[in-house]
Amino acid sequence: MSKVFFSTWRGESINNVDKADDAWEESAYNLPEQYNEHSSSKAFIGWDGVALFDSEVDVVRLATEYAAQYQVYSEACGRCAPGRWGGRILYDLMDKIARGEGTMQDMDHLKEVSRTMQTTSKCESGKTVPTPRLDLMEHFEADFVRCIDEQKPSKHYDESVNYIAKITAPCTDACPAHVDIPGYIEGVRDLRFDDSLKATRQTMPLAHTCGRVCPHPCEDECRRTNLDEPISIMALKRLGADYETDHGFGFFHPEEKKPDTGKKVAVIGAGPAGLTTAYYLALEGIHCDVFEELPVLGGEVAVGVPEYRMPIDKYNQDIEAVRDLGVNFIVNAKVTADKMREYEKEYDAVMVATGTRISKKVRCNNERPEIDGYWSAIEMLDQVNLWEKYGIGEEVDLTGKTVVCVGGGFTSMDVVRCSIRANAKKVYMIYRRDEKTIIRNTTYEEYHEAVEEGVEFLFHSAVEEMVDENDVLKSLKINKFELVPDPDGGRAQLVKIEGADYSIDSDFLIPAVSQSADLDLLPEEWDIEMTSWATIKTNGKDYMTSRKGIFASGDCEYGPMTIVNAVGQAKRAASVMARYVQNGGEITLSDDEIMEDHLRRMKVYDKKEKITGWLPGLPREHSEVVGVEERKFNNLEVNLGFTQEQALSEADRCMRCYYIAMVAY
Amino acid sequence: MINFKINGRSVTAERGETIINVARREDIYIPTMCYIEKTSPCASCRLCSVEVEGHDGFILSCNTPPTEGINVITDSESLETERTNIMRMYDVNHPLECGVCDKSGECDLQNKTLEFNVGQQHFSAKDQPRKIENWGLINYDPSLCILCEKCTHVCNEVIGDDALDLLFGGYNSKVIPKNADTLDCTFCGECIAVCPVGALVSSDFQYSANSWELSKIPATCAHCSAGCALEYEVKHAGIDSPGEESIYRVTNNFEYATLCGAGRFGFDFANTASKDEAAFSAAVAALQNAKAIRFSSMISNEETMILNGLKAKLGLKLFNEDARQMKTFMDAYASVSGKQHYSATLETLKDSDGIIVVGSRIATDNPGVRYAMTTAARHNGAKVVYMHPLEDTLLQNTVTQFVKYEVGTEEGVLALLAQTLIVDQELTKREQAFLDGLDEGYLSAETNVGDDELALLVKQFMRSKSKTLVVGSDILAHERTENIAMLVAMIEKYSDFSVLVVPTQINSLGVSLIADLDEDVATENVVGYNAKGSFVISALGEGDLDVPALNQQEGTVVSIDKRLLPTNVALSFEGYTLNDLANALGVNAENTIDYTVELPVESGFKAVAFDDLENFYSAKGDDLRGYALSTVTAKRGGHPEEVAELPEFNGAVIYHVNPVLQFNAFTAKTTQLENDNNLYGSASFAAAARLSDGDEAVFEVAGETVRRIFKLDDTLKGTVALHPTFDLGLNVTSGYRFEQVNFMRESK
Repeated sequence: MSKVFFSTWRGESINNVDKADDAWEESAYNLPEQYNEHSSSKAFIGWDGVALFDSEVDVVRLATEYAAQYQVYSEACGRCAPGRWGGRILYDLMDKIARGEGTMQDMDHLKEVSRTMQTTSKCESGKTVPTPRLDLMEHFEADFVRCIDEQKPSKHYDESVNYIAKITAPCTDACPAHVDIPGYIEGVRDLRFDDSLKATRQTMPLAHTCGRVCPHPCEDECRRTNLDEPISIMALKRLGADYETDHGFGFFHPEEKKPDTGKKVAVIGAGPAGLTTAYYLALEGIHCDVFEELPVLGGEVAVGVPEYRMPIDKYNQDIEAVRDLGVNFIVNAKVTADKMREYEKEYDAVMVATGTRISKKVRCNNERPEIDGYWSAIEMLDQVNLWEKYGIGEEVDLTGKTVVCVGGGFTSMDVVRCSIRANAKKVYMIYRRDEKTIIRNTTYEEYHEAVEEGVEFLFHSAVEEMVDENDVLKSLKINKFELVPDPDGGRAQLVKIEGADYSIDSDFLIPAVSQSADLDLLPEEWDIEMTSWATIKTNGKDYMTSRKGIFASGDCEYGPMTIVNAVGQAKRAASVMARYVQNGGEITLSDDEIMEDHLRRMKVYDKKEKITGWLPGLPREHSEVVGVEERKFNNLEVNLGFTQEQALSEADRCMRCYYIAMVAY
Repeated sequence: MINFKINGRSVTAERGETIINVARREDIYIPTMCYIEKTSPCASCRLCSVEVEGHDGFILSCNTPPTEGINVITDSESLETERTNIMRMYDVNHPLECGVCDKSGECDLQNKTLEFNVGQQHFSAKDQPRKIENWGLINYDPSLCILCEKCTHVCNEVIGDDALDLLFGGYNSKVIPKNADTLDCTFCGECIAVCPVGALVSSDFQYSANSWELSKIPATCAHCSAGCALEYEVKHAGIDSPGEESIYRVTNNFEYATLCGAGRFGFDFANTASKDEAAFSAAVAALQNAKAIRFSSMISNEETMILNGLKAKLGLKLFNEDARQMKTFMDAYASVSGKQHYSATLETLKDSDGIIVVGSRIATDNPGVRYAMTTAARHNGAKVVYMHPLEDTLLQNTVTQFVKYEVGTEEGVLALLAQTLIVDQELTKREQAFLDGLDEGYLSAETNVGDDELALLVKQFMRSKSKTLVVGSDILAHERTENIAMLVAMIEKYSDFSVLVVPTQINSLGVSLIADLDEDVATENVVGYNAKGSFVISALGEGDLDVPALNQQEGTVVSIDKRLLPTNVALSFEGYTLNDLANALGVNAENTIDYTVELPVESGFKAVAFDDLENFYSAKGDDLRGYALSTVTAKRGGHPEEVAELPEFNGAVIYHVNPVLQFNAFTAKTTQLENDNNLYGSASFAAAARLSDGDEAVFEVAGETVRRIFKLDDTLKGTVALHPTFDLGLNVTSGYRFEQVNFMRESK
C-alpha cells in the first residue's frame, strides 16, 4: 500500500486530484514513495503506468524525462528501427512541448509514434515506453495543452529534480544476482557468445556453474509463462561460458579492470560468495586475498555438489576467471578469531563468506554422532568430492551397504545419488512431506533422475530412533504420517499414523535436513549481531555486519540457500565495499542499487498480464540427459546441455522484456 | 512438419523454418529491411511483422516459427499503417544525397521509401554531426546507416572475423570496429555487399559510378578453388581511354553466396596486348620445337583440352605438378573408396557439426572453406578440430581443438586418425591388419599427437551427427600422398566422416580430370603457359606472348564442389589466345568454348555446350551455376601400405603460405590488395635462423634466390616461418609446402 496523489500503476485508477490530503485513496502496490532515507519521491513512472506522490509534480517534464531516459540511458535501445528513431522523435516532440514551443500537431504525432512503437518495437522497453506518457496525456491533458496554448515552458521545466532510471526485466528482477538475462539470451540469439558471457558476468562470475546447477528462480517469473511455458533460462547461460572455454580465449570480463587503488580486502571462504566478492572487488582495482580452509577452492560447489551435476573442470574455469583478475587465493588456511583480529587491522575491509558447513541433526532418539554409521551429509559429500574430483583422501565405497538419508533438499539429493554411484546395495530417502513438495524444493529433473537411478523415496516418514548394537548402527525405527486437512481451511497438518511404524535395517544414517554456520572465527569481543537462526545479521542491502568494516554474505549470512543467492549478496556487498574502502568508510548504495531494491519489492513480473504480439504454443526445449544405465555408476555429467539447434530455438522464444522504471525525487 | 495458412493458403513448414522462410518459399511477399537469408535474423527493422488470426498484436515473421493451424495475414490496413510509419522513421534525417550515393538505384531504403509512398519527412528529430570513418578499403558513413545489423551479423556468423560491433545508444547508435580503434579484419568486404544503403562502401569505388551505368558480367572468381560466384561491373574507362572499358567493382549475390576480399577487391588483373604477329610466330615455332608444355592450374577446362590436343598433335609432354599431385591423390583415394570424387561440398561442410581440418592453413588457403566452417561453428555449434604444425589465430573463434603435429608427419597423423575414427567396423583382413599393425607409440612420438588429444577429439564429436574431414594441399604435395589418400578414403569408408579435398588453385581439380599429364623433369625446350619455360606464354604481361587472363575469357573451371562453373569475358582482349595458337598448329576449333561439350564424360563431365550452361543463383538460393559433375565409380583394389618412416624437419623451416587475400601472381598484380611479402616467424624461428626483426633473409626457393624482410610475429610459435609465394611470379614451387632452408649469410 502506498500513499499516492495519482496512480495508473498496473491498471489501477487512483485520482486524488481535488481531494483533501486525508481523503486520499491509497495505491494497492508497494510503490517507492520514499526514494532513500533522505528523500521522498515525487513520482514513479514505469512500463505499466505512473504514480504521483505529490500534487506539484510537473507531469509534462516527467513525461519528457522518461522519454529521455529511454533514449539516452537505455542500453537496450538501438536494436530496432521503431525504438531507435521513435524514441528520439518522442523525446524531441515532448521536449518541444515542455519548453513551450509545441503545437497541437505535435500531440497527434506523439500519439502516432507511440502506437507504432507499442506495436512494433523489438523489446518491451520500446513497446511500453509510451504507455505512462499516454496516461499522463489523457489525465493531465490540460497541462500539455497549456504549454502549447501559452507557448510557455512547463511549470518546473528549469528546476533541478533528480530523475533516476533503471532498466530491468521480470527475470532479472527475480534473479537474486539480477543477471541481465535478456542480454545474455540475446547474445545466444545473435550468435555472439562472447557478448552473451559478458552480459552474464556483469553480475554473475560463475557462468559455467549457474548455467548448470542454478534452481533458476528467474524461470518462475518469466513472462513467457503467461503465453505458454517459461524460457529455459538457466541452460542458455552455458553457451557463452562454453564458447570461451572451447575456443581457449582468455576471459571475457564485463569491463576492463580498473587501475590498482592500493586498497585490500580479506575474503574468508572461496565458495560462491567469496569468489564473487573477490571478482567484483578486483574489477574495481582492489586487491583481494581469499582464505580457504579446505585444500581446494570453490566451497560447497566444489566439495558439496557432485561431479555428475557440476564437472569440476567447468567450475575451475569460473574460478580461473576470478584468478585472472589478480585475486590471490590461499588454501588450507583456517581462519581463527586471532586471525580475524589481525585481518581487521591489516585490511581495509573483511568479507566473511564461510557458508554453512555443519549438518543439522535429524532429532531422533539415540542420535549420537559416535554411533558408527552416523555420517553427516557435509562430511560424506566432502569425502566423495575430494576423492572423485581431486584424488584427495579416500574413495567412498558403499558396496553391500544400505544408506538412509533424511532430507528433501538439494544436499540430500546429492547424498542419495552419490550413494548409488558408490555402489550402495539400497538407498532410501526419508522425507516428511510428499512428492510434490520435494519437487518444489529441488527440481523435477533432480527428483526423477534420482528415482531412475534406483533411490527409494519414503514420503510422509520420519526417523524416530537409531537402533545400535555397541555403537554400530543396525536399523532405524520409522514413523509414518498422514496429511490431515484442516477443517477450518488452514494449512494441512502432518499427523502420525498410529501403529504404522516400521523398521529399516541400515548401515548408514545420513542427516541432510539442513546446515548451520560455524562462526567460531568471529572474535567474541566483537559481539557481532546474529539472526535468530544463528547466522550473521546484516540489513540485507549493504551486507555490513554490526561491526564496521566486517561484511558477510552467502549462506553464513542468509542460512543455507542457493548459489545464485550467495552470488547476488556478494555482488552487492562487493559494490558497497568498493565504495566503503575508497571513500573513508561510508556505507552507501548506488542509485542503481536503490532502484533494484525498490523494483524487487514491487516485483516486476505480473502473472496476470495478458501477452500480445507473440505467437503462443512454441514448446520449451529440454536438454538431452545421459541414459540412466550409462550414468548410474560414474561421474559423467548427466545433463548434456542444449544442442546448438535447441539453444537457438529456445533463445528465439525470449520476449526481451526489458522495462524502464524511473523515480523523480 | 507444421501445417498452417498464409493469407488463407495452406502451406507447410519444416522444423527450423520461420514464417518468413515459408512465405518466401511460397512466393508470398513480406517486406523487410534487415533480413538476410544466410545469418540469424537481425530482427531490427520490424517491417516483417504479420498478424495471426485470433491473436492480438503483431508477430515478427523473421524469427517466429509457425504453429499448427494458424492463419498468418501478411498484409492488412493496420500492418500497412505501421510499416509505413517505420519507413517514415527510417527516412528521418536520412541525407538526401542519392544523386551521388553509391547505393542509389539499388538501395533498399530508396525502394521501400517508394513502395510505402513516403513522399516527405513526416516526423522530425534533432540531427547531430556524425563522423565519416575511413577504414582502408572500406568507408563508413553513420548518417546513411540504418542499423539493420546485416554487416555485424555476416561478419561474425559467416566470415568469422567478428570485427564489427554495434554501439548502442538509441539514436546515436552506430557501427564500430569491435574492440579496436580502426577496422582490423581480413577485408572480405562482405559488409559492403550486405549493406542495404550506402553506409558501408568500397573506398576505391566510392563516387566513381552509379549502379545503373554498370554492366554486370557474371563470372567465377579466378583466385582459389572455392569457385565463388561474382559479377564484374564494367563501364567505359573514361574520356582518356576512348573505346576502352574497365572493371569498376565486383559484387556478389550476398544473400546466398559469400565472397572474400581477393575476389571483391582483386579484380584488376586483366592483360592488355594487341596482336603481335612476330611474337605469335615465335610462339608457334616454340611449340613446334617444344619437348613439353609446362602450365599452371589457373587455366580453364577448355584451354586444358587444347593442351591435350597439342600434346596429341605435336607429341610433346604436358607438365603441371600441381594438377598431377591432385590426380595422384584422387586416383589413390579412388582405389580404396571406389569412386573418383570425394563426397563433401562447401554446402555439406556448412551443414556439418563436426569438422577436422588437416594439412592446410585453411583460412588463407581457401576463404570459402573458412566461411563454411564459420557458418557451421556459429549456426550448428560445430566442433572444429584443426590439425596442423602451426596454429592460426584467424580461426580461434571457430576451432574448438588445435592439434599440433610435427612438420612432415602427415602420414602418421592420418594413420592415427584412421585408427581413432574407425571403430567397430567390418574391415577387410588386409585393412584390419594394417590398422592392427600400426605402431602407435612410434606414430604418437614422431607426430607429437598424443592419446589424450585423440581422446579429446573423440569426445568433441560425441554429439555430432554430420561430420567432415577437410584435407588440404600440404597433403596433396606430400611425397607420401598416395598412401595418405588411401587412409583418407578408409576414414570416409568406415566412419561417418565425409571428405572434402581442397585443391590448391582455381582449376587444379578440373585440370587433373582432363589433362594427360607427364611427370615434370628438367628438359630443354619447354614452353611455359603461365608457367616457367624457355618460351613463356603468359597472361601476366611479362612473357614472350601475351594471352588473356581468366577474367578475359569464356570457359569453365571445376571448383572444390566438383562443380563445373562457367566464367565470362569481363574485359575484351585484343591479342592472341591459346586457341589461335592451336589453330595455327592444326588443332582446330572456332572458339575455345567449343571444347566445353567435349570435356571427358568418363571423369564426370556432362556433354553440355557452354552456351547451355546457366550461371546464377535462383531467387530461393539454389546454385544453378554450371553443373555438378556426375558420380564416377572407380576400380577398387588399393590398400594402404605400411606407414613409412616419418621425416624430421630440423632447424629453420619455412612454410609456403600466402597472407590474407593473396593467392598468386594474378592477385599480386592487382592494386587494392595489400602486398605484404615479408617473412614472418616467431622468436624461436629467429633464433634457429639467426635472424632479427627487420633483417633481410636470403634463401633459395625452387632454384631461385629469394630476398625477404624478416619480421618477428608474436602470434607464432615454433621454428616454422610463414613465407609468401604470391609475388614470385612464375617461379612458384610445387613441392611439399614446408621446406628446410639455409639462410645465406651476406655481409651487411
